[in-house]
Amino acid sequence: MRKLTATLALVASLASSACVQTRQFADVQFTPPQGDYKLLVLRPDVTVGSLTTGGMVEARADWTEQARANVIAALRAQQAGRGGKLEILERRSQLKGISEQEVADFERLFYAVGQSIVLHKYLGDYLPTKRGKGLDYTLGEDAVRLGQKTGYDYALFLHAEDQVASGGRIALGVLGLAGCVVGFCAPNIGGATQLDYAGLVDLKTGEVVWFNVVRAGSEVPGIKFGDIRTPEGSAQMVERLLGRMKPGLEVRRAQAAAVKS
Amino acid sequence: MCARCPTISRRTLLLGGGAVAASLTTGVAQARILPRDMVPLVGPGFRPTDKDEQGIWQLMDRAEEEIAGSNLLIQDAKLTGYLKGIIGRVGGPAARDFRIYLAHIPDFNAMMFPSGFAVVFSGLLLRMRNEAQLAGVIAHESGHFLRRHQIRGWRDQRRKTDIFAIAAMAAGVGGAGAGVYLGDYVQLAQLGTLLSLFQYSREMEAEADAMGARLMAESGYDPIEMSNIWQQLIGEETASARYRRKHRRKGSLFDTHPSEGSRMADLRLDAEEVKLPGKPYETARQRYLTTIADIRPTLLDDQVKLNDPGASQYLIDTLAQDGWNGLLRYYEGEVWRLRNRHGDDIRAGQSYAAAVAYPDAPADAWRWHGITLMKAGRTVEAKSAFSRYLAMKPDASDAAWVRQMIG
Repeated sequence: MRKLTATLALVASLASSACVQTRQFADVQFTPPQGDYKLLVLRPDVTVGSLTTGGMVEARADWTEQARANVIAALRAQQAGRGGKLEILERRSQLKGISEQEVADFERLFYAVGQSIVLHKYLGDYLPTKRGKGLDYTLGEDAVRLGQKTGYDYALFLHAEDQVASGGRIALGVLGLAGCVVGFCAPNIGGATQLDYAGLVDLKTGEVVWFNVVRAGSEVPGIKFGDIRTPEGSAQMVERLLGRMKPGLEVRRAQAAAVKS
Repeated sequence: MCARCPTISRRTLLLGGGAVAASLTTGVAQARILPRDMVPLVGPGFRPTDKDEQGIWQLMDRAEEEIAGSNLLIQDAKLTGYLKGIIGRVGGPAARDFRIYLAHIPDFNAMMFPSGFAVVFSGLLLRMRNEAQLAGVIAHESGHFLRRHQIRGWRDQRRKTDIFAIAAMAAGVGGAGAGVYLGDYVQLAQLGTLLSLFQYSREMEAEADAMGARLMAESGYDPIEMSNIWQQLIGEETASARYRRKHRRKGSLFDTHPSEGSRMADLRLDAEEVKLPGKPYETARQRYLTTIADIRPTLLDDQVKLNDPGASQYLIDTLAQDGWNGLLRYYEGEVWRLRNRHGDDIRAGQSYAAAVAYPDAPADAWRWHGITLMKAGRTVEAKSAFSRYLAMKPDASDAAWVRQMIG
């Protein structure tokens, strides 16, 4: 009986051991950009670290550089497919006609608003005033002015952090799994995890029109689900994050009505 | 459950726990770290070569970009240049590599980041009584970098959490195999790991103090001022707690820093050791006061608005040990006025009256002096105080109201 329970627990934990969750929100009027649009990508915020045996995250400069280059390449390839013109800022000083300080302020404003979005849309502190309104956040006049000065239609913010399980962590997981045989079952101590999010700002209105969070993680160290240090992993991440942009609620309703009639 | 299983008795558990706790508490009152043992571990132009340290530096580069462009920074060239000069003097081999930023935060703090940039809070400039004290804090922070504390701390943490994770897993699996429950020991080990991390952190702070004392003496500042800083801080915290009818927090096993009392005592001994007979050591009080003169009103203003009358009063009294002046008397009045308990208006009025007797009384001292006199029915004197206020601050936002009061 005890063996059976252990085996069942093992099977169940392995089945749920690697999962990818994604959840996006859009302005009710949002239509994914298509055709001839100009997109500005603000410094993609990419970090890759190693998950130590004890469960701490050790930042790795070389992996981060590698991943950032791959993510940028994947982003270019993905956007080229949609027809947009794309510029990716790597430094705040690269935007013509806009001071470094203004770019910094714009980034900080987005991250502050982004935190609100995550808190009220993802972490459960839902606001009654925002219910049923899709994504109802704005960066205000500053974003509109930035659009006017630079001629871009949209600004995209992207954050990706990836933790790669170290050899020690994997070994510890294996030990935990082996323990199931003797009755001490700890197969899901937590392995690699990835957290990515992106937000799209319409620079004509200043509104945050689309936001997406992807969480990928394996509870068993050693099981992989896309490593952004590789070109394939980066392409997969960009596709998960940006590839399936859904239109807003009202636009979807109108489309459904059009199909019916 | 099973009769054969050896069980851990409460007594062995307590004995084990007692032994762990005893070994840790003796660690708290650790032997003093000697300044002569504190040799800088980095040379000029240091760049990391190990993977883990490179990772931290890369994160820190981004953090520094954020901090350098933060609107919380005070960008006054005179003050930032002054700080740069001090870190250039007490920074040892890395003196030329350090960057230093001044943040507008009314709190006693300064910090060194792993890649060699420091942030000093403006509240520190209010509390320091001379350049040597300020240099003492900066020397302590430089000590963290020169002794490579951040990376050593990180590696210690990584090592200990690794060992704990492996030991806990082995205890679980091994215990299950042998039929013994070791969970209580695992919990004890977890506490032990945690406490040992805090202890390591305190050890680093003690190192930075000793290194700092050495840097101070080598660059000609009087190292005893580092000890005086802690005396002042203890006084401030005691005064603040007394006012709030609380007791000043005493040290515990979970502190990241050694207790202020032990730092004060150790630094006093350090200072004696590092000084060479016959060599002059300066405190540079006058240079300090001249440099921060312009910002001092802002610093005092920030402090009195923290709504901590006990600490504010203590700080003002401490600064006044170097002589009262109009500015200090005015802010003494502000502490009472903002506290606003029974009789505080009278005490505030007395401070304003004392303030305006000094040539450096700020315009607002005349304004509040006028209001106090007006309340007391001494209209003629009040009007003359108001006139003085308007003469000093003709475009004050309340000028129209004050003019009306003069009539």
